[in-house]
Amino acid sequence: MAEQAGHRGYIGARPLNGSRTPQHVQNIVIRDYAKRKNLQYLLSATEHIMPGSYMVLEDILDELPRLRGLILYSIFMLPPDEARRREIYDRVLREGCDLHAAVEEITLSSRDGIQAVEDILLVNKFATIL
Amino acid sequence: MIDTAFVSAEEQSLTNRFIDEGFITTPADDRAGLDRIQRRAAELAADFLRLPHSNDPQDLLDNIHTRVSVAELNALRMHVITGLNAEPWLRPTYFRLARSTIETIVGNELCMQRRVNLSIQLPGDDSSLLATHSDVWSGDSPFEVVVWVPLVNVHRTKAMYLLSPSLNGEMQDRMASLRSAEELYKTIKPHATFIEIPYGHVMLFNQTLMHGNRVNEESSTRWSMNCRFKSIMSPYADKRFGEFFEPILLRPATRVGMQYKLPGGFHG
Repeated sequence: MAEQAGHRGYIGARPLNGSRTPQHVQNIVIRDYAKRKNLQYLLSATEHIMPGSYMVLEDILDELPRLRGLILYSIFMLPPDEARRREIYDRVLREGCDLHAAVEEITLSSRDGIQAVEDILLVNKFATIL
Repeated sequence: MIDTAFVSAEEQSLTNRFIDEGFITTPADDRAGLDRIQRRAAELAADFLRLPHSNDPQDLLDNIHTRVSVAELNALRMHVITGLNAEPWLRPTYFRLARSTIETIVGNELCMQRRVNLSIQLPGDDSSLLATHSDVWSGDSPFEVVVWVPLVNVHRTKAMYLLSPSLNGEMQDRMASLRSAEELYKTIKPHATFIEIPYGHVMLFNQTLMHGNRVNEESSTRWSMNCRFKSIMSPYADKRFGEFFEPILLRPATRVGMQYKLPGGFHG
């Protein structure tokens, strides 16, 4: 029995940019985003709390042939290594899927959008917050 | 090890089972309460499917795959669990199902997860799988336990699997070299045990151990509920007090202690 295509949610247990958001709130944000964008939301998977682990994200990427895409709670959940991120963009787009980030309202559906996402991540790495 | 002079032989036996095997299955302390939960779940499922209420709730639950599609499954699950959690008797009843075991393994000042969860696994459905995990990896405290309650008989792939405490540490040590949770499952597969539980029994397990489920290859549908309990004063992780857990048993001496203030006003 194949799963109906939709967008898999991706939430986390690690702080993002020094802030923590309860997991049920992350799910509310994703569910609301999916509703507004008319995407079929599939129950979120939760990334490990161990720093540097992306095993759950890898499982979602393996699942892509049966999905239409994934919705990250935040774009800052992507791995810090640029080469690894670019592999992720490649896999998503190669499977004909798209990648969304709910907090930042980002949609990545073609190669044209990659640099804009990378710019956000790069600036965030260097810019300070008062 | 615990000094047996302070615990009964029955408590020592339960303690040993939990430490050595990682889980305890036992008849529900409140069988009438379990039947009430099962009956209400079946009524809510029947309402969702616009069917008359069944006189045999277990049969309806076991065979729900003949009446619902995978596409409708999550809507059914949400309808049933929202309806169950709306019942004011649900959480006290759920606690009573395993109270004696919880008090032996965890303690008698307790907090409980605010919402009880429900899993429904249709035969052959790969949309409701839980990859190999420990709850601690997604933000639960290692001081928690899970009370897992099947609403039907579960066995083999209709059940959940658990890795034994004797192997869990060794497998965790290999984790960082693996790419995905599916690779992790392949590594632990020869050692994982599917836990057979007849309806009427409940399980309390150590959620720091790796566990999960696979595609249900049996001929009937799995319905199971789960809820976390912890000692109220033990450390919390990402699943915080208030937002995820709430107190259910706080003893008077603790209330007195939390409100006590030493005499003040000294200036010498």
